[in-house]
Amino acid sequence: MVENIIEVERLSKSFNISSKDPGLRGTLKHFFNRETKSVKVIKNINFQIKEGEIIGFLGANGAGKTTILKMLCGLIVPSEGSISVSGCLPYRRREGFLKNITLIMGQKQQLIWDLPPIESFYLNASIYDIDKFEAKRRIKKLSDMLEIEDELYIPVRKLSLGQRMKSELLAALIHKPKILFLDEPTLGLDINAQRNLREFLKAYNNENNATICLTSHYMKDITSLCKRVICVHNGSISYDGKLEKLLKKLSPVKEVLIVCSSEKDANKLDNSGFKVKSKVKNEITLKIENRNVSSSLRTILNNYDIEDLFINEPPIDEIIEKILVKKKYTF
Amino acid sequence: MRKIFTLLKVQYSNMLEYRVEIALWAVSGIIPFFMLNIWTNNNLNEAININNIMLSRYFLSAFFVRQFSVVWVVFSFEEDALLGKLSPYIIQPLNPFFRYFTQHIAEQITRFPFALIIAFLFFLFNPESIWFPNLIFLFLSFISTFLSFLIQFLIQSIIACLCFWTEKASSIERLFFIPTLFLSGLLAPVASFPKYVKSWIYFTPFPYLIDFPANLLSGNKTNISEGFIMQIFWILLLFPLFTKIWYEGTKKYTAMGS
Amino acid sequence: MNKNKYLVVYTKFLYTSLASELEYKTNIIIDAITAILSLVGSIFLLSIFFQNTGNIGGWKFEQALIIQGIYTVLNGITNTWFNPNLREIVRHVREGTLDFVLLKPVDSQFFISLKKISPSGFLEIILGVCLLFYCIKINQIKLSLNFLILCLITITCSICILYSLWFFISTTTIWFVKTWNATEVLRSLLYIGRFPMSSFSFSLRLFFSIIIPIAFITTIPSEVFLGFAQIWKVILEIFITLIFLITSRRFWLFALKYYSSASS
Repeated sequence: MVENIIEVERLSKSFNISSKDPGLRGTLKHFFNRETKSVKVIKNINFQIKEGEIIGFLGANGAGKTTILKMLCGLIVPSEGSISVSGCLPYRRREGFLKNITLIMGQKQQLIWDLPPIESFYLNASIYDIDKFEAKRRIKKLSDMLEIEDELYIPVRKLSLGQRMKSELLAALIHKPKILFLDEPTLGLDINAQRNLREFLKAYNNENNATICLTSHYMKDITSLCKRVICVHNGSISYDGKLEKLLKKLSPVKEVLIVCSSEKDANKLDNSGFKVKSKVKNEITLKIENRNVSSSLRTILNNYDIEDLFINEPPIDEIIEKILVKKKYTF
Repeated sequence: MRKIFTLLKVQYSNMLEYRVEIALWAVSGIIPFFMLNIWTNNNLNEAININNIMLSRYFLSAFFVRQFSVVWVVFSFEEDALLGKLSPYIIQPLNPFFRYFTQHIAEQITRFPFALIIAFLFFLFNPESIWFPNLIFLFLSFISTFLSFLIQFLIQSIIACLCFWTEKASSIERLFFIPTLFLSGLLAPVASFPKYVKSWIYFTPFPYLIDFPANLLSGNKTNISEGFIMQIFWILLLFPLFTKIWYEGTKKYTAMGS
Repeated sequence: MNKNKYLVVYTKFLYTSLASELEYKTNIIIDAITAILSLVGSIFLLSIFFQNTGNIGGWKFEQALIIQGIYTVLNGITNTWFNPNLREIVRHVREGTLDFVLLKPVDSQFFISLKKISPSGFLEIILGVCLLFYCIKINQIKLSLNFLILCLITITCSICILYSLWFFISTTTIWFVKTWNATEVLRSLLYIGRFPMSSFSFSLRLFFSIIIPIAFITTIPSEVFLGFAQIWKVILEIFITLIFLITSRRFWLFALKYYSSASS
């Protein structure tokens, strides 16, 4: 049986924030008297994560995703509630715990800027008590997976953003962590590099049965990696479950574009009881509910003369963006 | 002109944000007082014909002049260049050094009360050295302090422009700071320097950075007309040099396109 | 704590930071010139003080040179170890990469205060040591095992006190981010260390013995060099060193606690 590697119970976190009014007067007021107020950024959340799962945290900026992630890896002490990550209290930052996890933050780099990444790898290896041969073996393996053999010997400052991110990943994974925390790992990367990164994460997850928690603004990251997502809204969890289910809930219909051989057929189709979105000459777009897609298509193929047919996947990105943008989303 | 005024206003409220830092900075300028302590505590001043009171006024003035002529363009510029803030500045219709210039002025205004507090504490311990310079000299020393600030600002801006060629211009600045420290009169009045130094030092910009304005302010003997002429001479010499190096630097920067 | 591992990690630190500094060769040359000029300047200043008098605060010129020598060595150490690491900490806090450091399975103070090393201070250390040898010659100091041990102890203590002071300021970065100015204050106070403590007035001497122990940093080792330090001063210095080391450690742990409860 797979057990829960991360358990979070009634977790809350408050910050003290000082505020300043704009303008000279605000500055002067700020000068004499800094107002601080306590803001509860995480409100009483609960969740469990099983070993080997890939979990995506979704939410708008400031919803609290990063705070949750930082609490999970022990950088922030919770105000209330309990966290257990692989049986440890994260904020104690015991050596055994630290060797089990890793944190990767997009655009924040730990590699030594002026040196080739390989130097940083060996430095990290020594920090994690990995001997030279083992380190070499792992670097070889990971660099194969990431396809960055040549870049290992070029100073970091001369690498492109994508190459740098791959090197960051290698540096962060050299100690074979069982739990990966990724905060916006694909930030600023081009589409190609994003895809490579995702494929690598998938492979790493497969091979090591590693647990991956990630936040991202790129919907593709979430949709292609995560089976399960946790939506964070205003510090609370608004949805926790399968990604597909979330998508189905949010977009129950598919759009099917049908190119009929003649305009006559199109007209016939128009009047056959299907929900029509638009119709231009012999091209007609139907809206079909998800659960009826296969049966409806069978009917159409059998009864009409059809030249071509396109099923438009529901625009997932737009849907999830809706979650991010909308102030309140009821599920 | 309005641009500069608006910039100044923004920079001032920005500087107020950093009041703790600026107060600390004001405190960090107290080296002249330690030097004064050595001078008077060991009766070293008898040999150079300046009595205790005049010497303490000199060092207090040196402190003030230093406070209002400190320049740190190189460090801001280097940081901005490193963080890639430079490109947007360059395409603005205003030389970025104006930005730094107003930053410095704003910082000096913020610094003023802290400097006054330190001066007040100084008088508390040395009540016999209280004086008030007559208005003409106050005005003249104000002008010469500003000119000293301009000279240092120009020199540092020139060094800062070297950022376009070498990555760490601040180490050149640290090199240049050494003669400034020892020869400007911050640690010992130029009058006390040995003859072989005095013979050439007045041809360098250093004594006009601190010694000259401090002498004016404290009422010590100094050659007023020569001091001003040399200050203006150095500004006239440095300004074209700066515009030239700025022009060459931006040309190189835009050509590289990074 | 695994000592062997820390040794391995430290050699890696040494190697990586030296290698990255060597990327800026002109910088090293400029720093070397700066070091030489700085020493020349301080001797020049000292000579101004001595041009009309035989001694300052009971120290002859040759004896005062010892203080210069020790100051130069310590300044070199500061420029080699303490200052580059402070800069690194500021960068960590500003860019938010301190998180990476905290998640490493090594002591964070060790990591953060020893990671960087910059060769620009080496020349200063060498110059200072040369000056000290010269002083030993002109002051006709007899070398003995006792003398060497005492010198080593006091200088080590000075280094530890300096380290604590610098690390103390580094730690405040967690609250203020911009600590350049605090560094400047420390630097200007340390400047006092170029001169014998006894050349200052009583109130300043008191201040620099009790509040900021600059008296202990250069004057006591110099007195040991000249052979007129009382043994109680050495013991006092060791005691103060321990206090400083422990407090700076405590302060760092306290700062980390704050960081992990307030940062966002």
